[in-house]
Amino acid sequence: MGEKTELAIAVLNGAVGDYLARRRNGLATELCLVHEGEVLALERAALERALPSASGTVVVFVHGLMCTETIWDFADGSGDYGERLARARGVTPLRLRYNSGLSIPDSGHALDDWLTRLVQVYPAPIEELVLVGYSMGGLVVRAACHTARVGGHAWLERVQRCFYVGTPHRGAPLERAGRVLAKLLGSIDDPYTRLVAELANLRSSGVKDLGDADLRHEDRARRAPVLHLEDAAHPVPLLPELRHYLIAGSLSSEPRLASLFGDALVPVPSGTFAGQADLPLPPAHVKVFHGMSHLALAHHPDVYAALLAFWDGVAPAAGDEPAKVAP
Amino acid sequence: MKRDRRLRGLFELVTDVVEHGSRAVEQVHKATAARPFDILAQIPPLAAPSALVRIVHDASVSGVYGSIRLVNKLVAVAGGVGFDLAESQSGKDPGDAPARPVPRAKG
Repeated sequence: MGEKTELAIAVLNGAVGDYLARRRNGLATELCLVHEGEVLALERAALERALPSASGTVVVFVHGLMCTETIWDFADGSGDYGERLARARGVTPLRLRYNSGLSIPDSGHALDDWLTRLVQVYPAPIEELVLVGYSMGGLVVRAACHTARVGGHAWLERVQRCFYVGTPHRGAPLERAGRVLAKLLGSIDDPYTRLVAELANLRSSGVKDLGDADLRHEDRARRAPVLHLEDAAHPVPLLPELRHYLIAGSLSSEPRLASLFGDALVPVPSGTFAGQADLPLPPAHVKVFHGMSHLALAHHPDVYAALLAFWDGVAPAAGDEPAKVAP
Repeated sequence: MKRDRRLRGLFELVTDVVEHGSRAVEQVHKATAARPFDILAQIPPLAAPSALVRIVHDASVSGVYGSIRLVNKLVAVAGGVGFDLAESQSGKDPGDAPARPVPRAKG
């Protein structure tokens, strides 16, 4: 099917994907590997055919809400972060597609299962598994790592580094505002406003989980009934045994605006996991791009340059200091 | 195969939207109509006839929306049979594709 059709289905999945999955609707996307535009079965023979020179370093790219793996493609058609990393560092990039309307914990479980299987059928011994998540994809990566750690799953031993691009680690205030607005409309004794509230509440579990970055089902209990512009402290820490690299965007360089609006969807403190005392990140692991929108983060040459710098273990280039933002 | 599954999914989604949408609109319709009826019920000379009109009104509203859902269900069943037939004629096992249980075509 065409790219636009796939994108339309991805948007539909992001909006009501949990409903589609519950109804076993054929439009529900299952987590899968997409190679050169086609879904690739997670079987050794298929991987051997598709990846004749499979590297021992595998980089898995996980997209965000309401998009497909094509979100990683540069606008000028010159590939994506994975292709460039493959050329520069000899890695094997794998791009995933999944139903972003499923709850983040459920997507995390699906990714955990998929990575378990990948390690079994990958045509070469996997020396290192690198996870790169964009927006919601970063939370899915974290949910998968959390699941794997709790379950003692072997693939996690191969992960040393995780990269998060525009990931709302401490939640997205827009969703929290939407939640409060829907509740407000629902409380008004008017059939029309109640209908609007019901329509708003049809949004998927994935969208709702973004509000507070819920990585586990039990995390939803901490959802506040009133709107908080500032993000709550997150109950699930970044796994301390891994190295985490965070990239965030901000439309404004003014600290207060960056704190409130960030890249238009993810505030900078959320994108940089600021204010989390349990695992302070080294400044060299955090990069904030000023004047960059949320969407641009997934396919921007400057972001690739930062990824490559992180990859090589060097500090970001001049002018790339993390923004001073209110935590 | 994927295209067939998705077409079927789209069809099922549309029938789901009609089902749930008609229920939601019916509720709004009845709640909106209830307002003037509630006012009329407070006026003694009009209370009795308006109550009768309200019963007729609500019954007709339920009938209209109910018939929409009935037709929608028939379309859903017929569509499901059509998809099964199309899949069986193209040599595929219909059991692979249906997203939801639908009546199988006989013969």
